[in-house]
Amino acid sequence: MRTEKVSYIRSFDYVMLLSALALVAFGIVLIYSGSLANYASPTDVIEHPVARQVAFAVIGLIAMFTISRIDYRLLGYTTIFLYAGALAALTFVLVAGQAIYGSRRWIELAGTQVQPSELTKLILVIVLAKYLTDRQERIGQLTVFVTSLAIALVPMILVFAEPDLGSAVILLAIWLAVVIMAGARSAHVLGLIASAAIVAPFALIAVVSDYQRERIATFLDPGKDPLGSGFNTLQAEISIGSGRLFGKGLTHGTQTQLDYLRTQTTDYVFSVLGEELGFVGVVILFALFVVLLMRGLQTASSSRDPFGRLLATGICAYILFQVFINIGVNIRLVPVTGIPLPFISQGGSSLVTLFIALGILQSVSTHRGPPEW
Amino acid sequence: MDVFGRKERRWRSPKEKEERSDTQTLRDKFFYFRLLVFVLFGILTLQLMRMQVFQGEAYEERAQNNHLRYSPTMPSRGLIFDRNGAPLVENVPQFSAGIIPADFPKDREAELLPQLEALLHVPAAEIAAKVDPKRDSKDPFTPVVIKEGLTPEEAFSVRALENRLHGVEIIVDPVRRYTLGSLVSLILGYVGQVTDAQYPELKSKGYEMNDRIGQMGVEAVYESVLRGQPGRKDVEVDAAGREIQTVHEVLAKPGSGLVLSIDLDLQRKVTEFLQQGMGSSKNGCAIVMDVRSGDILAMVSLPTYDDNVFTNLTDEQYRALNDDPAKPMVNHCISDTYPPGSTFKQITGTGALQEGVANAGTTITSYGSISVKNEYDPNIVYIFRDWAALGTLNFYQGVAQSSDVYFYYLAGGYYQDGVELFRGMGANALARYSREYGLDAPTGIDLPGEAAGVIPDPDWKEQELGETWTIGDTYNFAIGQGFVATTPLQMVGVTTAIANGGDVMVPRVVNKVLDATGEEILRIDPKIARHLSVSDENLATFREGMRQAVSWGTANSASIPGVSVAGKTGTAEFGPDLGGGTYESHAWFTGFAPAEDPEVAVVVFLEQGNGAKNAAPLGGRILNYLFHRGG
Repeated sequence: MRTEKVSYIRSFDYVMLLSALALVAFGIVLIYSGSLANYASPTDVIEHPVARQVAFAVIGLIAMFTISRIDYRLLGYTTIFLYAGALAALTFVLVAGQAIYGSRRWIELAGTQVQPSELTKLILVIVLAKYLTDRQERIGQLTVFVTSLAIALVPMILVFAEPDLGSAVILLAIWLAVVIMAGARSAHVLGLIASAAIVAPFALIAVVSDYQRERIATFLDPGKDPLGSGFNTLQAEISIGSGRLFGKGLTHGTQTQLDYLRTQTTDYVFSVLGEELGFVGVVILFALFVVLLMRGLQTASSSRDPFGRLLATGICAYILFQVFINIGVNIRLVPVTGIPLPFISQGGSSLVTLFIALGILQSVSTHRGPPEW
Repeated sequence: MDVFGRKERRWRSPKEKEERSDTQTLRDKFFYFRLLVFVLFGILTLQLMRMQVFQGEAYEERAQNNHLRYSPTMPSRGLIFDRNGAPLVENVPQFSAGIIPADFPKDREAELLPQLEALLHVPAAEIAAKVDPKRDSKDPFTPVVIKEGLTPEEAFSVRALENRLHGVEIIVDPVRRYTLGSLVSLILGYVGQVTDAQYPELKSKGYEMNDRIGQMGVEAVYESVLRGQPGRKDVEVDAAGREIQTVHEVLAKPGSGLVLSIDLDLQRKVTEFLQQGMGSSKNGCAIVMDVRSGDILAMVSLPTYDDNVFTNLTDEQYRALNDDPAKPMVNHCISDTYPPGSTFKQITGTGALQEGVANAGTTITSYGSISVKNEYDPNIVYIFRDWAALGTLNFYQGVAQSSDVYFYYLAGGYYQDGVELFRGMGANALARYSREYGLDAPTGIDLPGEAAGVIPDPDWKEQELGETWTIGDTYNFAIGQGFVATTPLQMVGVTTAIANGGDVMVPRVVNKVLDATGEEILRIDPKIARHLSVSDENLATFREGMRQAVSWGTANSASIPGVSVAGKTGTAEFGPDLGGGTYESHAWFTGFAPAEDPEVAVVVFLEQGNGAKNAAPLGGRILNYLFHRGG
């Protein structure tokens, strides 16, 4: 018992935890600045975005420590329930969810809005890791490859229908990362990519909704409709660019404080950073993310258990692509999609999910011996 | 260890080998994953470096343009007073409803436009047509004016709804109100919007498209004095267009005031008299001038217009004013020219005296007309009539009776069968004196739109008409007929020069400039355009002739009790022969008083009438009022 505790404390990844906490703190400062314009008088402290974010961070930390103590291998026995639950929640959102900014992503749960697509990303990691670990020897077979793709496609389609193009892309990236790490044949992967490239333009016309098409069109030319749907993209670009090297100073960004940015505590929180803390602030943020991801990949690569390795890999892919796409949107590298910036954006679903993911990573790095149940 | 290791490797089983290569590929995969992390963050970093470091300055400027709005603050325009300090204009606030296109949401038009239509009575489609194209323009932040001149009730109800009517705002502009309406409108002019034609030139002087500018009269001539210096205000606005704070402000410098030479009370009376005495005339003018300073004490041109209509002029109103045949927007005192008729004899007479072709004692007999044979065909005889057979006249009598024959002699001489019986001064000399008196050129009054008139001479006729000057032209010239054309202002200027001893004055309507508090900052000195070459003795002779014209001659109807008046009538024929050698005629009177020590000169012009019957009595009434008012 004593040795187990020592090994847990010893093998717990503190650098990962500290970099995550630093990111959350960074985020809370930005949320504070970004919400000044809308929450000028502190009448309702409980409702303030900063208070809510702190509360979610605490909940997340508790969840992380709890999960890190549990052997991650237990997760392998829950995959069918997790998967079914995720699909049910996504379906429920489509049928009865609340539409905000033209898409249905939220369900009301215990007085807060929950975004099931966030948790779905983590669940997909777990489900895929389990499925592929169980079929390690047959990974080269096309049926396994295709089945794993099908597992990812079902939630992808549901998320896409919300519509939440960004999350759908993340799910795809998670699948790709996990399936490659599990040892899928390069012929299968390349064949799929080639056929996707051929089908994509047609899919764009047939499946993509007007809302998404418009967003893609304004991404290509935000000046076309500067006061309409191009407004967000253009203002985000101006905010970040105008921050220059050192930024305008926290709470002194004209774009942020004068309401030129929309959703400046969630999808566009990075623009607040770019404007108020400049390139220097951006580089610090990137450094924290890189440290976090390096620790995560270290966990993955040092795990001798394929399930743990795939779990950690999937989680790293989840965080990496979510960060890249969110920032890419802010700086006009990627069409607008509306996904949160991990650890930074205001929002409980994302933050709690990420802490659960960190808990799993910690569990992988602390449970290296034989199963303890 | 080395050996041991090598030995171990030699004994690797195939399964072991496979595991090892698996580990190797896994290591590779993690290497590539780590590489991917750096590549992706590298891409983001590069793009951010491009935006924030290399293009940061440009983005910063765009951010500034976003949240800083520059708005000019208009100075209050200088006020205008009459010579006794009576205010002629006021600045009053005008309310307009405007829309900032950028802040007026397109998707809520369906809901907002009907509300605006109900409030302002402007059709929704018209509002949309004004706002929509501006929304995508380069400057969607300048308000588009939807309706000017709101009633206070309308302005109030729009303002009460400003929070709900996104992008709609009430604009308060100071506008001019002319307290006296049409009474002084032709002198004051009006303030109107900068026109499209004016804008390119005015832009460099700091005017904006929506600015107002003096468009006629004193408002136009003294624009730079009255306007003041516009200020500017840089305001920080949020994305909804609400003003957050003033970042920088340069206060506007109010315009300077003006004191006119106009005597408002006299102006009012002269207008009244002229209206009563106009008869069937399309137009009528009267000017009263101080002979010592050139001050215009009164200047009336009828019909006139109310300059207040220009504050919010509709196209229809403008067309109606513009198309009116009596041309109410034209100041006929200065902008229209007419044959001066016998009032021109002031020049012929004084010129002849100075040229030595006549003196006070020169007698000429008028048999009612003189005849001139055609130079090439003696069978053709031209007859130049006098208005009556006035008999033998000396100079005073010639002036007093306004004998045309007398003045034909003075200008053109008299010939019988090729023999010169009387030597005249000649057309060229007469033209020279005319120009000395300021004819054939604008007088330089501080009002816009002044006409030059025409003084014909042999060169002029050759050039303009390609014809040779004849003796008949000289005769017509002598009595202000034929080609001669002058403005009423020029004629009062001629009389002024005769009255004051030979100074041709530059007439003026503005005497002083005041600062914003009403303190005098500049007094404009009288200006003499030139001194006549006619001696004061000769002028005195002519003055005596004019005095006699009023005391017993043709201008007798201008005489008034208590003050001796000197004057000259004119009945200038114009237009086609109405049959039997009768024509339509303009009525003129020009005179000064007191005759012995002149103070003021007056000119009266009626488009239709007779000098003695119609114009001279009006001149008398004006002078009578001037010398006898207030007791």
